[in-house]
Amino acid sequence: MKTFITLAWRNIWRNKRRSFISIASVLFAVLFAISADSLEQGSYELMIDNMVKFSTGYIQVQDVMYDEEPGIDNLLYYDEALQEVLNRFEGSISYIVPRIQSFALAATDTKTRGTLVTGIDPEQENQFNRLSENVIRGAYLTDKDTAVLLAEGLAGILSLDVGDTLVVIGQGFQGATAAGMYPVKGIVKLSVPELNNNTVYMPLATAQWFYAAPDRLSALIIMPENPKHTRRITARLNEALDSEWYSALSWEYLLQDLLKMMQMDRAGSQVIIYILYIVIGFGLFGTILTMMLERIREFAMLISIGMKRYQLAVVCLLESFFMSFIGVIIGMMVTFPFVYYFNKNPIPLKGEMAELLIDYGFEPVMPTSIAPSIFITQAIVVFIIALLIGLYPAYKAFKLNVINHTK
Amino acid sequence: MAVIKTLDLEKIYNSTHVPVKALNKVNLEIEKGEFTAIVGPSGSGKTTLLNIVGGLDKPTAGKVFIDDEEINTMKDNKLINFRLRNIGFVFQSYNLIPVLTAKENVSFIMLLQKKSKKEMDRRAEELLREVGMADKFDVRPNKLSGGQQQRVAVARALASRPKFILADEPTANLDTASAFNLLDIMARLNREEHITLIFSTHDQRVIERARRVITLVDGAISKDEQFNQ
Ligand SMILES: Nc1ncnc2c1ncn2[C@@H]1O[C@H](COP(=O)(O)OP(=O)(O)OP(=O)(O)O)[C@@H](O)[C@H]1O
Ligand SMILES: [Mg+2]
Repeated sequence: MKTFITLAWRNIWRNKRRSFISIASVLFAVLFAISADSLEQGSYELMIDNMVKFSTGYIQVQDVMYDEEPGIDNLLYYDEALQEVLNRFEGSISYIVPRIQSFALAATDTKTRGTLVTGIDPEQENQFNRLSENVIRGAYLTDKDTAVLLAEGLAGILSLDVGDTLVVIGQGFQGATAAGMYPVKGIVKLSVPELNNNTVYMPLATAQWFYAAPDRLSALIIMPENPKHTRRITARLNEALDSEWYSALSWEYLLQDLLKMMQMDRAGSQVIIYILYIVIGFGLFGTILTMMLERIREFAMLISIGMKRYQLAVVCLLESFFMSFIGVIIGMMVTFPFVYYFNKNPIPLKGEMAELLIDYGFEPVMPTSIAPSIFITQAIVVFIIALLIGLYPAYKAFKLNVINHTK
Repeated sequence: MAVIKTLDLEKIYNSTHVPVKALNKVNLEIEKGEFTAIVGPSGSGKTTLLNIVGGLDKPTAGKVFIDDEEINTMKDNKLINFRLRNIGFVFQSYNLIPVLTAKENVSFIMLLQKKSKKEMDRRAEELLREVGMADKFDVRPNKLSGGQQQRVAVARALASRPKFILADEPTANLDTASAFNLLDIMARLNREEHITLIFSTHDQRVIERARRVITLVDGAISKDEQFNQ
């Protein structure tokens, strides 16, 4: 075996130019595939990150029914028992953001409009998504306030500004009527257009009073100390919580629609990578074919003098293994610094694309992902393709008719 | 006892549109220790005969026995193994593995025979010395002349301790001096070590080195002469 390895290794360096081309094409395939995948995954990661950090949180504790029917009648009861359970998770939970949320009608003298009335703990909410930084007029809420924060778009629609009064009418907990008049304390600009056109923020207590649902919440957003432990914490929460009333859901569940959409999107762009694989594959195959033409007499000689066909095939496979391996390893080594750099310094976007992203509440940048899975998957795929192509000489070793090539 | 025996060997090539009868009822016996030249005009069937006797090709009809073992019915794998154990080959060109040194090339066949490293080294060096390549152990084929390459090929063919060595036109690509040199080495090996050698050639210069000359014409043996030197 040692001699076969030596033989294969020396054969690679026999025609340096050709081996260089082969290795370079494997290298290029790895470089391109990883970069493309990494860029795409990177923007997904950023999108998910944005969603998780500013909207859903990593974990939510909800009433068991809320997920199916997210209405005012399926609020969870935030009592001491629940607090006590959560206290046990001290150390793995960083902080908790309570929210109560439902739809209500907002009215002025002349206009009405459906709105999303969200009760928040001003301090916790701010820690979660830095809401106060988006206040463009007036001031941010405190938990003692009985005032509201209006989203900028909604304020425009209702022609309201700081100091004006907002009337809200809706349905409260278990059929109660919800109604109230609140002064507008501030105007806040929300980046997601839909939310910017319909959100009314109230301090939690005020909202609970409004909805006639004291101590009740739509969801408790849980921020883990280490987001990587999300799944485990979710599972442990579900064990600890009374499953008759509560359920803990991870962002993977809460954002499942978005994740599915991304997967479908990814499938599309994978096609481009597949085309790349094919192009590179044919290039490699061409080099291998020329090599076979040059070496066919040597192969015939080897089998003639008594080398078993499988032994020759092993040498061929070792050769393509070495070349693919070198290509893949160098490819990864070359790619990593690039990908790493653009992960730390995301490519800024300009123009329409950037505005679109800003409108949706995302940073207008294209970071790369440095998830090891990308490197591993792409490297393995390219490696396997190269090996498959390398099967051809091995196949030839089995099929070769020595008589035609010994002259 | 004959080391090689053929019985009514026939070979018909059908690959061209007119079938070619390359061998026609060839009956041949070669004894241990003979030094035989197969001669004849181009296309007379020399290569075809050597290929079939060497187990590289199958006859259309007839049989080949090597030490009374019929080889023409063997399966490909068994035949490869049989060649490895019993037959040494020297081809006209492309004899050596380009990436291996002279010594490694000679060792290679013993490696395929699973000989010990020590024996491989010892024997490879001994054989290379015997063919006058003592100073070229670590040289790769592309740094050797055609004659030197053929000498390494002879050493390689000997290394496996075969029953006989087949050489199809071993001097075809060599200048006169190298051709004589190679044949002298082969003759000496035959004389001193009783190696059985069969070579084909249409080179008049080297025929006289052989002790038996078989002449083929149109695929049939037309003359079979013995010489005593
Ligand atoms: N693979 C083949 N397919 C068809 N015909 C072949 C094949 N090999 C040899 N022949 C034919 O068989 C006959 C004998 O060929 P062979 O090569 O054995 O002759 P040779 O004596 O070795 O000739 P040379 O001195 O030119 O090497 C020739 O007519 C040749 O054309
Ligand atoms: Mg010939």
